[in-house]
Amino acid sequence: MDKSSENNRHVYWNPYFGGFLLGLLIIFTFYMTGRGLGASGAMKSSVVTLVDKVSHEHTINNAYYSKFVKDDESPMNTWLVFESLGVLAGAFISGSLSGRMGFRVQHSPKITSRRRLVFALFGGILFGLGAQIARGCTSGAALSGMAVLSTGGFITMLAIFGTAYLFAYFFRKNWI
Amino acid sequence: MGPLIPNGILTNEWNIIIAVLIGLAFGFILEASGFSSSRKLAGVFYGYDFAVLKVFFTAAVVSVIGLYYMDYLGWVDISMLYVHPTYLWAAIIGGAIMGVGFVAGGFCPGTSLCAVAIGKLDAWVYVFGIMVGVFIFSEAYGVFEGLYNGSFLGNITLVDSFDIPANYIIFGVTLIALVAFFVSDIVRKRIKKVFY
Amino acid sequence: MINRNLAKILANRYIILASLLLIAALGLLLLPAYQKNERVTAEDLLAKVVNPERYVTSDDLAHKIITKDPSILLIDLRDEKEYAEYSLTGALNIPFDAILNADYEAYLNQGQYDIVLFSNDDFKADQAWLILTRMDYENLHVLQGGIKGWYNTILNPPEPTENMAKEAFELYDFRKAAAMYFGVGIKQHNQVEQQDMTPKKVVIPIVKKKKRKPEGGC
Repeated sequence: MDKSSENNRHVYWNPYFGGFLLGLLIIFTFYMTGRGLGASGAMKSSVVTLVDKVSHEHTINNAYYSKFVKDDESPMNTWLVFESLGVLAGAFISGSLSGRMGFRVQHSPKITSRRRLVFALFGGILFGLGAQIARGCTSGAALSGMAVLSTGGFITMLAIFGTAYLFAYFFRKNWI
Repeated sequence: MGPLIPNGILTNEWNIIIAVLIGLAFGFILEASGFSSSRKLAGVFYGYDFAVLKVFFTAAVVSVIGLYYMDYLGWVDISMLYVHPTYLWAAIIGGAIMGVGFVAGGFCPGTSLCAVAIGKLDAWVYVFGIMVGVFIFSEAYGVFEGLYNGSFLGNITLVDSFDIPANYIIFGVTLIALVAFFVSDIVRKRIKKVFY
Repeated sequence: MINRNLAKILANRYIILASLLLIAALGLLLLPAYQKNERVTAEDLLAKVVNPERYVTSDDLAHKIITKDPSILLIDLRDEKEYAEYSLTGALNIPFDAILNADYEAYLNQGQYDIVLFSNDDFKADQAWLILTRMDYENLHVLQGGIKGWYNTILNPPEPTENMAKEAFELYDFRKAAAMYFGVGIKQHNQVEQQDMTPKKVVIPIVKKKKRKPEGGC
């Protein structure tokens, strides 16, 4: 164990330890800001900003974009964008400390990188769509929702994992 | 008395600084727990790695117990905290779509950001996909609007839904989590190890 | 190398951790329930009760109404019938029984306006003041003397006798002018003019709460 961990990049924290720290972080987040963590909101802000840059008129006329466009400040000026910048930095620190850095495509040996990328794109599109419909992703809706016993959070969590288990069979080749 | 910023104890300017710090810790914990690896994440669906379930449930249980203790001690006012609103069908259908996306792409938004930070190219593509997904949703907002705004039940919690005191629910959730940990370890021993 | 007993304990570490979590959850369940004291303490209440600022004299109020001071909000605590008969200009009717009604909370619980409570006399307004202060609402005042006091001072002021100080005459002049303003001359006290004076309902913009509601979303 000791020797293998020195050059095994895939030795991670004990999941219970990670979960415990994450729980403390959620408590701290609620204590400070009264709100939970999130991630997909930053991507939404980026999309709104991009579309706004291309055509300001379009964002104002679109019923969904217009909710996030303000006259006096950039749609990027939200809590979640700053938090996500922190996430990037934090993951970068952790990854560099454990030597997990490097440009590569991670996939099962049974599939090609190309197939992995296609499925990643496909999965991303679905997740982006679903996260907007449910108003949050696994961190924003499910995790932070569960911390305050939100009914919607629990439903979202069950729906995500329930469906994922249902569909896991069809995608098994990608992973196992 | 928490929450500090909504109660005006800390000024709003702190919000940004705190956001970055919280993000730092969030990213570090996710990455160090192995959430930057899509194959580790997907393991929960095939039974060869239950890190997602363990981290997720431990975090949820620890945070909910902690928050209610803090409420009891008067350090934080539970009723002031943001409760994710419940739009019943939006949550179910959105969650279902996310579930398919999760098992197909192997990430969720938070973990994909971690993977982006350490240079996983599949995560770059995945984040791009999420943006495309958001774009599709916004452009076709008219189609989703009924679902998005429908069946609104308010910012309710399980306490309102089941009419059981919060402490019993917390105890139940804790029990379920512990049973899930126990079962997941049994399952993992039976399933062929996958090296990734 | 490692202590054998320690190794034994560590072998069961997950069971120990699980029991710790369970105990923590159970602890929450078994903690004695207690009511959080979120209201105003008795000391604070006393300090507010003895503060003379909680009373507004009818002269001050008349002056504020005439100068159309936008910061005051008049609350008529009498019932609807009395309110319909006569009330102060721009007063809002919240019957005494209904002051804790959630519909009126936006009017009463806010920091922007100076709220002046009044009823027929001091008594009910004082009670309402006490109840609302205990709810930790801010900027509450009571009209001294209530509607009766208003009538006796502003609408029908006692004429000062000749040996009184100059100020008393000035006050009398002011009151007479105010009475003219409120449309009820002292002598020509007739029905028609009273009808014109049916109070308008003030329209109040939706008041922002001091505490920000935390926003969220992913």
